[in-house]
Amino acid sequence: MALTPDTGTPDTGTPDTGTPDTRTPYTRTPGAVEAHVPVEPLACGRDAAEVWDHTEAGTLDEHERDCPHCGAAAADARGLEAMVGRLAQEPLVPPATVVDRVVGAVLAELRPRDLIPLDSPHGPAALDAAAAAAVLRGVVDAMAGMRARSCRIARPSSSDGRPGPAEVAMTVTARFGVDLSSTTARVRQMVLAAGEQALGVPVARVDIEVVDVFLDEPGPAR
Amino acid sequence: MSDHPETTFRAGDALVARVAAETAAAVPGVVALRTDLAGTLLGLAGQVLGTRRAPVVAARVDGGQAEVSLSVVTRLGFNCRDLVVAVQREVADAVRAYTGLDTLVRVTVVDVLIDRPASTSTDADVSAR
Repeated sequence: MALTPDTGTPDTGTPDTGTPDTRTPYTRTPGAVEAHVPVEPLACGRDAAEVWDHTEAGTLDEHERDCPHCGAAAADARGLEAMVGRLAQEPLVPPATVVDRVVGAVLAELRPRDLIPLDSPHGPAALDAAAAAAVLRGVVDAMAGMRARSCRIARPSSSDGRPGPAEVAMTVTARFGVDLSSTTARVRQMVLAAGEQALGVPVARVDIEVVDVFLDEPGPAR
Repeated sequence: MSDHPETTFRAGDALVARVAAETAAAVPGVVALRTDLAGTLLGLAGQVLGTRRAPVVAARVDGGQAEVSLSVVTRLGFNCRDLVVAVQREVADAVRAYTGLDTLVRVTVVDVLIDRPASTSTDADVSAR
């Protein structure tokens, strides 16, 4: 395998008097099928890739041993070989988080995943039900006086086999003293709006169960 | 005999996967692409070994058709339904333009990132007492 070093050497137009090179300047050795890009030869007319190959194989000819241009290319090849050799000797040290990430990936794979179908004319599409529930819980958490405890969202099929509107069941806690009737009505409106605007899922039914009340925590001392 | 013989090519699974991944990642609203367990492990191995990461998209080419499965992560504020439609359209167009393959694109939104406010002190408007 012949690497192609960038010689960066200007062409002086005076090839060295070494072994005659009958090749055209921009072609590789006949049979070198891996070469696709024309390569600028060294100032002496030699192909730097061939010098690299000869250096690796220890088969430098007399010209390549004496020529300063070939010598520079050979030195580059030896330097790279030494560097690669050192890197190859270094032990692999995986990052400290690799175990956690592997365990997380395995657990995520094993967790049963409920999907909600999304309407699309271009093919199958779905939304993770847990992610959808998290969005709806976030909407409720952002409301004054309410906190979401749990949320389940499902989208049963309609009679024609297509996904029907979604049904949402939530448990919430309310701040002590709020009007439960009006607040849960606001929750319902917010869930309906979030279902359509954030998820793209029409919601037909929202069941809300207020399971507890909470008291305001004292604010930070000023 | 023609001077210019006909050139044919066959797009492979990995090619379609990479085109799909690059295209999907550029769709506004796509925060990340998530892969399955095998892809995650291959990606971690690639990071440790310093090689290129494995494609995060599953793709299969069968004759003149391709099938692509993507799992995307988005952010609250982007409509999930509109997002998957955009991803399906963009990926199918890109794969068709690059390879000529008709492509079925399956998209699953696996997570929606929610930027929670740092403080919830705005509850003062509740006339509860």
